[in-house]
Amino acid sequence: MTQFFQQFINGLSIGSVYALMAVGYSLVYSIMNFSNFSHGGVIMFGAYFGYFLLTIYKLPFSVAFIGAALLTALMAVVIERVAYTPLRERKAPYLYFIISAMGASIFLENIIIATIGPTFRTYPEIFSKTPFKLGVLSVGRLDVLMFVTSAICLALLIYIIEYTKIGKAIRATAYNIKASALMGVNTNVIIIIVFALGGFLAGIAGVMFGMKYTVYPQIGAITLKSFIAAVFGGLGSLQGAVVGSILLGIIETFTAGYLSSQYRDLIAFALLIGVLVVRPMGLMGKATEDKA
Amino acid sequence: MLKVNNLHVYYGGIHALKGVSLEVNKGEIVSIIGSNGAGKSTLLNAISGFLRYKEGEILYHNNKLAPTPNKIVKQGICHVPEGRLIFANLSVYDNLIMGSYIRNDKAKIKEDIEKMYTLFPRLKEREKQIAGTLSGGEQQMLAIARGLMSSPEIILLDEPSLGLAPLLVQTVFDIITDIRKMGKTILLVEQNAFKALSIADKAYVLEQGRIIMEGEAKEIAENPRIREAYLGSKKV
Repeated sequence: MTQFFQQFINGLSIGSVYALMAVGYSLVYSIMNFSNFSHGGVIMFGAYFGYFLLTIYKLPFSVAFIGAALLTALMAVVIERVAYTPLRERKAPYLYFIISAMGASIFLENIIIATIGPTFRTYPEIFSKTPFKLGVLSVGRLDVLMFVTSAICLALLIYIIEYTKIGKAIRATAYNIKASALMGVNTNVIIIIVFALGGFLAGIAGVMFGMKYTVYPQIGAITLKSFIAAVFGGLGSLQGAVVGSILLGIIETFTAGYLSSQYRDLIAFALLIGVLVVRPMGLMGKATEDKA
Repeated sequence: MLKVNNLHVYYGGIHALKGVSLEVNKGEIVSIIGSNGAGKSTLLNAISGFLRYKEGEILYHNNKLAPTPNKIVKQGICHVPEGRLIFANLSVYDNLIMGSYIRNDKAKIKEDIEKMYTLFPRLKEREKQIAGTLSGGEQQMLAIARGLMSSPEIILLDEPSLGLAPLLVQTVFDIITDIRKMGKTILLVEQNAFKALSIADKAYVLEQGRIIMEGEAKEIAENPRIREAYLGSKKV
């Protein structure tokens, strides 16, 4: 039983960071109808931003953390302007967006390899490695930070999307970009906001992953998992992305804990295929048919 | 108030509007009638900023119209599109709030929502419901109410009666006359020429991208050629 709860807590912690990344996929997908595969590169940059702000600029952790997230948000917006805006203006088919996104992803990875180098870098130790004790359970301090930060960010994001004027405009634009423009919404600004929000959360996730593992140019590949989670939960649905991510995190840690960590990805990908076969729109995905 | 001069619009290689001119004055209901593919929706989309035009100009209060849809709404022109395009994923109330997106006068917005509920009592009953669950007629009411929420001077209505049961068609046209009484100006595009001409002051007949006839709505309704083409050829 102890192991069960232990795995459960680990799963929650890792799943919540997947969720931070998955909502980035979902936000962009809901508005622009394509899977933004450059998101992994953006997260990788987040990890590097955090690393350099801490090691070279020696900023206090909280400042570096937020600073990295802001820089990453900016980065996501720049990618949108450079890689997607020209396609939008030419009304290119969605496939071209995906190809452009993949191109951006490869570009981001290689610019790091070419300038900073392919070596693995380790974040300075910020939190003591001694875990918190919860009765018989032990929880790593970093895992607590990951879970708490993710939960706060996700709650804020969902609040913004559900209850604020901008959030309603985002949802309206996601439903129908033309109708939204007819209401006087500047849909270009909405797209920038969406990329900035996704980028900010990607920066947070990048820093936390950098701390938990190491920083290297291919760290963005981890977003494949969060993409799976977003599809699992239903692309385009924020709540779906969160639920999908937490489930994926828990399934992963349970597989690693009870079977073997070698089966972890096998199970995760099998899950994706299984979901797509049975429920193509994911657990909470938006129905794609249009009314009237 | 709204003046279109010699407007040419191209869709890729297709010359959709070939020199359209028209004028809408304050307080009028102006109707554009024409068959499918005549260019009616193209004209409205050009006015509301969704289509670029190569030649011609659109003047609003004698000034050139802003270049993008969101700025045009702010100038006081609201377009209720064909097919309604309500936000099916938002509640009825949130649809109305989205309609008031360009406004910041919270108290007045609240007041206007209440006004919409008086004008369309069905919407009040369904305030919290997701708009996608409304019937076609209710969705059309919502689309019009949402448009009015931007408190426009002029409202462009694209086929508001499309796909509605006959009884509802009458209701929609009654509402359009009510909206005029609120002091709004209306540019109405309709395939239901008979109804449209019955409430309009002025009308234009659009055929294959050209205005082939214009004048008082009554005169046009009595024109034999129009009667034959759009109103059914029954002799009275």
